[in-house]
Amino acid sequence: MTFQQITKHLDDFWAARGCIIAQPYDVEVGAGTMTPDTFLRALGPEPWNVAYVQGSRRPNDGRYGENPNRMQKYYQYQVILKPSPAGIQETYLDSLCTLGIDPLQHDFRFVEDDWEAPTLGASGVGWEVWLDGMEITQFTYFQKAGGMVCSPVAVELTYGIERLAMYMQDVDHYRDLRWNDTIKFGELRREEERQFSIYNFEVANIDMLWELFRLYEAEVERLLELDLQLPAYDYVLKCSHTFNLLDSRGAVSITERPAMIGRIRNLAAAVAKAHVAQREAMGYPLLQHA
Amino acid sequence: MPDLLIEIGVEEIPADVIVPALEQMRVALDEGLTALRLTHGEARVYGTPRRLAAIVADVAERQPDEVKEIKGPPASAAFDAEGKPTKAAAGFAAKNGLSVDQLRVQETDKGAFVFATVTEEGRPAAEVIPGLLEGMMTGFVFPKTLKWGDLEERFARPVRWLVALLGDTVLDWEFARVKAGRTTRGHRFLGSDDVEIASPAAYLETLRAQHVIADHHERREVIRKRAVAAAAAVQGRPRLDEDLLEENNFLVEWPSCLLGGYPERFLELPEAVPVTIMQKHQRYFPVEDAEGRLLPYFVITRNGEGPGEEMIRRGNEKVIVPRLEDGEFYLTEDLKTPLPERLDALKRVTFMESLGTLYDKTERIVRLVAWLAEALDAPAPERETAARAALLSKCDQVTLMVGDGKLAALQGIIGGHYAGLAGEAPEVCAAIAEQYLPIRPDDPAPASPAGKLLALADKLDNLAAAFSLGMIPKGTRDPQGLRRQAQAVLAILQAGDFHLPLCELVGEAVGQVAARFIAPEDDSATAQGATNRATTTAALMDFMAARLDATLQEAGIPYDTVRAVLGGRWSDPVEVINRGHALHRIRGASEEFEGLVDTATRPANIWRSTDLPDEVAVEPGLFEDEAEGTFWAALMAAREEVARLQQDEPVPYEAIWQIVSELRGPIDALFEAVMINAGEPALRNNRLAMMRELDTLYLQLADFREIVQ
Repeated sequence: MTFQQITKHLDDFWAARGCIIAQPYDVEVGAGTMTPDTFLRALGPEPWNVAYVQGSRRPNDGRYGENPNRMQKYYQYQVILKPSPAGIQETYLDSLCTLGIDPLQHDFRFVEDDWEAPTLGASGVGWEVWLDGMEITQFTYFQKAGGMVCSPVAVELTYGIERLAMYMQDVDHYRDLRWNDTIKFGELRREEERQFSIYNFEVANIDMLWELFRLYEAEVERLLELDLQLPAYDYVLKCSHTFNLLDSRGAVSITERPAMIGRIRNLAAAVAKAHVAQREAMGYPLLQHA
Repeated sequence: MPDLLIEIGVEEIPADVIVPALEQMRVALDEGLTALRLTHGEARVYGTPRRLAAIVADVAERQPDEVKEIKGPPASAAFDAEGKPTKAAAGFAAKNGLSVDQLRVQETDKGAFVFATVTEEGRPAAEVIPGLLEGMMTGFVFPKTLKWGDLEERFARPVRWLVALLGDTVLDWEFARVKAGRTTRGHRFLGSDDVEIASPAAYLETLRAQHVIADHHERREVIRKRAVAAAAAVQGRPRLDEDLLEENNFLVEWPSCLLGGYPERFLELPEAVPVTIMQKHQRYFPVEDAEGRLLPYFVITRNGEGPGEEMIRRGNEKVIVPRLEDGEFYLTEDLKTPLPERLDALKRVTFMESLGTLYDKTERIVRLVAWLAEALDAPAPERETAARAALLSKCDQVTLMVGDGKLAALQGIIGGHYAGLAGEAPEVCAAIAEQYLPIRPDDPAPASPAGKLLALADKLDNLAAAFSLGMIPKGTRDPQGLRRQAQAVLAILQAGDFHLPLCELVGEAVGQVAARFIAPEDDSATAQGATNRATTTAALMDFMAARLDATLQEAGIPYDTVRAVLGGRWSDPVEVINRGHALHRIRGASEEFEGLVDTATRPANIWRSTDLPDEVAVEPGLFEDEAEGTFWAALMAAREEVARLQQDEPVPYEAIWQIVSELRGPIDALFEAVMINAGEPALRNNRLAMMRELDTLYLQLADFREIVQ
């Protein structure tokens, strides 16, 4: 199965189970969890079922395109179901069956892994799902986001689709992954990895990034005063990505790190709080679909 | 009588939570049934990642009737002057479902009262057990719980099904919108989701037919056997770390074992690297040959069996190779800089917020090691080894292998390995490698003398640093694992038979931290600095004393013996530990123990509450009775003998016990002959001073007032 067939199968699978098939968010994020479709929608009482592919950027993980499975940009397939339905584990395993992974021929494990995202003030309880010893999915019951308790609880499934595809296609290097029947992953992405690794590790302008961080941070605060939570959240994401770039440039000392993370977390928490208040003021419009 | 079966079906519970949860379940059922007056046999528990189960044998089907005497109004209020029942009597009778003539009058020490004898009919077990189960579910204590869906209940993981059978009867019970029934689920893939259990007795076999071994003891042995068989295919044997075996046991319901392998070149890595990747990251059992040398194979525990073995083996092999390649990459990069040349890089790594860098910490450890070596009068070569090891001890923190995070658990071990490659002496490497031992409570202390000194210094510095910053563990919060470190300090002192005064040890470590890193106004030269230092030292001393207490109790010594030992005078933790064990043995073996405790508490009870001035000394010229002279001579002789025996190594506590026991005769004679609290002050003080001397002698063993008889 090609890479694009995998995402298409997952789209079809989750659409048939009532999920909106959303499109990737257009601001840099470190993980699918950070997009508004997860981070903000996981809060509050409104039901929410969504699935989407999200390109995720982790500047520190770049390896100039040379490492078999480490990249500074990769794809996550993200599913959010709120409230978490009974039998969600079985549904998830079914989704793998539709990809042609026969559980009787493999070894599945749900290995404890309580996920936490310090920059988002988010945490949950769940597992890494192992397929023959390889982590293919992060499976989490959200307990907190933006420092606020999630009620009802959303379940988040994050498939690492390159890994899954490498496994299914039996290739050892991401470059050899078949995107479709003719084009390989490496043809599309290798040069991108090379250039961004150089940028992230060697040439990103540190002074400019510090300045941007301060500007973005101030913008969040200004926008919150204007009651514009959604634009404000974009700037939280920009802060987060800027911080990651500074980190990959080695510009953040060990002592500064926790303080920086704390600043982003405070911004995220403020936006989350304002967003919840806004939804409440609107009378929770999606509740009618409960 | 029927058996009771309870099964809580859950989404995969973390492996380390299951055994404690099962024990809580066993106790909740056992004690709960007793509280419900339901006789029952033994409760047995069974656990898998998806189920917590208990079977209680022979549960009474009905509570026995209970006869209760209920006290009513005073007889004087219940009957009028003519003996006729009043409204009060009628009301009381009606409330208890009796007629007035069924009431009795009975004398109590507060006068005559009316009583009703009521027989409360026992209820069927099936009616009362659900209440017990509700309490059990909310009573579980887990390290972490969650909520799920739109429910309010909390548990370790979402609860998906419940089985509650008393004999063949389903109990009426519900939790988190799941209703109990007789339907369980088999193995996730090899079994059915809809399995009826006929009766508790059929539980284990019904599940076995569904590819679930519910009995975790049995399952563990299956894994052990199959792992051995799998490794035998390459003439190897699996390294079956018991914790890892248990973790795998609670990740599977129907185990089988497969052998995987990796390219032989990875055996050139320091052994701890592939072993850690196999054990910690992938939960594999490493395979070794008959001489204990690592082979390039590992054993996978699979949750299931049947087709797919080749695919699973290849999948696992594919995962481990990139991880080993990471290790290889780190090694190649790290070797470009010899370990000793990394000292300067430590200046760029912060250690605990305001406490300087790892370089500063290194300097403190070097000084503390020197101090320890001096205090223990260590031979010169050992001092040099320890000093060199201390200097290089933290250099591996700035290597890729340790610093990158994934293999951080290899700190020390990697340092030792790299030190060897840099040409350091083997003793230095061994000490560096051992510096974090003991990590787990049952780990050994460092084997080498220099390793012990370094490990002590490192841990004492961590403790002193945390306490200087006010990071003192409270309740269950101990994020830095300071309790474990303090206990490790005691374990090393014990292993090395290091006799050192605790206050000096702690004071030295606190002083080292304070000397440079506490704010200027707290500088040790100032009075404020000295006060702060004293406060920190005192807090750390209390903390260590509490750990000493815990160490002794964990060794199986009853709390009152521990308190008695710690209540006496002590400064050397190893001496206290030895004495605690000795007193415990003596208490268990000596029939005279209780009698001596009586004797030994008397002098303490007599003099400690008086205001006897310190300077009063016993004056034999003031003795009036022959018994005083006899007692005093015996005490002096005993004191001398005890002081002599205390110099022996090891201290013969049994012999000391014998000597103080033999004082009993002269003591009894003394109490027989004279009044301690004599009217004449000089006489009284003289006798109280004798009591003080006697008490002081007993305190060499323990403060016997702490013993609960």
